[in-house]
Amino acid sequence: MTPLLQISGVWQRFGGLIANSDVSIDVGRGEIVGLIGPNGAGKSTLFNLIAGVTPPTQGSIRFDGEDVTALPAAQRCQRGIARTFQVVKSFETMSVIDNVIVGALVRSTTMREARGKAWEVLEFAGLAARAEVLAADLIPSEKRRLEVARALATAPKLLLLDEVLTGLTPVEAEKGVELVRRVRDAGVTVLMVEHVMEIVMPLVDRAIVLDLGKVLVEGKPADIVRHPKVISAYLGDRHAVVA
Amino acid sequence: MDQSFALRRRRDLIMACCLAGTAALLPLVVKDVYVQNILVLTLMYAALSQSWNILSGYCGQISLGHALYFGLGAYTTALLFTKFGVLPWFGMIGGGLLSAVLAMALGYPCFRLRGHYFVIATIVIAETALLLFQNWEWAGAALGIDIPVRHDSWLTFQFTRSKLPFFYFALGLAAVAWLVTFWLEDSRWGYWWRAVKDNPDAAESLGVVVFHSKMGAAAVSAFLTAVGGGFYAQFVSYIDPESVMAFQFSLLMALPAVVGGIGTLWGPLLGAVILIPLKELTSSFIGGSGRGVDLIVYGTLIVLISLARPEGLVSLFARRRKAPAR
Repeated sequence: MTPLLQISGVWQRFGGLIANSDVSIDVGRGEIVGLIGPNGAGKSTLFNLIAGVTPPTQGSIRFDGEDVTALPAAQRCQRGIARTFQVVKSFETMSVIDNVIVGALVRSTTMREARGKAWEVLEFAGLAARAEVLAADLIPSEKRRLEVARALATAPKLLLLDEVLTGLTPVEAEKGVELVRRVRDAGVTVLMVEHVMEIVMPLVDRAIVLDLGKVLVEGKPADIVRHPKVISAYLGDRHAVVA
Repeated sequence: MDQSFALRRRRDLIMACCLAGTAALLPLVVKDVYVQNILVLTLMYAALSQSWNILSGYCGQISLGHALYFGLGAYTTALLFTKFGVLPWFGMIGGGLLSAVLAMALGYPCFRLRGHYFVIATIVIAETALLLFQNWEWAGAALGIDIPVRHDSWLTFQFTRSKLPFFYFALGLAAVAWLVTFWLEDSRWGYWWRAVKDNPDAAESLGVVVFHSKMGAAAVSAFLTAVGGGFYAQFVSYIDPESVMAFQFSLLMALPAVVGGIGTLWGPLLGAVILIPLKELTSSFIGGSGRGVDLIVYGTLIVLISLARPEGLVSLFARRRKAPAR
């Protein structure tokens, strides 16, 4: 079976800056894949390429056996790619349930159906008690959860999580990890950008390390954390030698 | 949980029926022609502001050029009637369709602009149209069009002896504009529009084609506005570019919604009920010499409201949300 997401030879240039160079990644069905790397490694750029915010300068992106390189974001969502944003982008003047309904509309023919789905997703994400609250009135961890719920409401095959666990308290992060696991158990493939190694590593099946816009290494989390290249990218060459 | 939503919808609908019923009985009490005239204008602006609210309130694309569609509706109706003998009823629909198409044609380039730049574009386009009509000989140029009044009839929608038919038509128009908004509010378009207003990037990521959403809002909004314009042409039976396409009409459509509550179901109506009688009364009390004083009163009111109630007066009636403070 072909991988769900196939990125081959993707480059992204912003003027003179090369944010991604020759990135090739496969994500298989049902995996949780972590995309990690130091600041400025090109993680968010790669995410935007997959979500369709900008087309790549070069290279191709195939999703579910179809070339989606030229498709804009909305159409990729219709194909089954959903995302969250690193800086949360809730619909602030709308209630929590209404936020999720917007997502649910993609796969619904009637409002009744969309509303029903939205409630189900809110239950799943543990936000049902806050359904009638304005998104603007949520606390930060709830806003992150809403981002995930809204994306899930589009019934995606691939969920892109952009630093959803960063900046949470340990208890909140633990709940977040549990939510991601349940998402995967529900049959959704997850690709997540994360900064905090100790949270991501136990969660993911596979990790891909980006550095300076290139894939540095990829493999099992346990191997990644000990890899000299990874340590030198994060901490500098001196520590790599010591390790 | 979900029942509260259905209850809210039903409450809105019942309230609208009660208000419409009460309004329909008003002429039994109000016999004064001058006051009836104000009632007609209030209802008309309620309908216009409700239409404006669809594009600018719900979808967040602030237009200060809706006078263009208002004028276009008025001119289409008047020209079709005077030049070709087409009944105003078809004129209003025709003007509406023409405006909807024009709104989409203009939206094609303009919806790429965001924020203030979009607002500026709408003003400039409406002003350009005003100049074109002032110089368009066939359409009467700056002199305008006198709609010949033959006899009172619903067929030609002309009434000289009584304002009441206009009153009931304006009431119907306001009711239709309200119902369209009510229906759209709980449709996928309504949700798309609010999402586009709040955060276009997030909306796009959830499968909403932002551009199409804006086009849809523009078309509906322009259509309803132009029908209002067609009505106005019949009501005053004489139009010229200044009297139907001037910038002040764009403001008069926007302000009731802003004062009442932008992007809300009841805001435009509430705003119109407060502002339009106020405007008419101040301009008639002060008379011809004080032209512009009504605008001062207007401006003051808006400053006060934006300071004290930026969400609009409708928020005074909104039930308290049980959300904790941030």
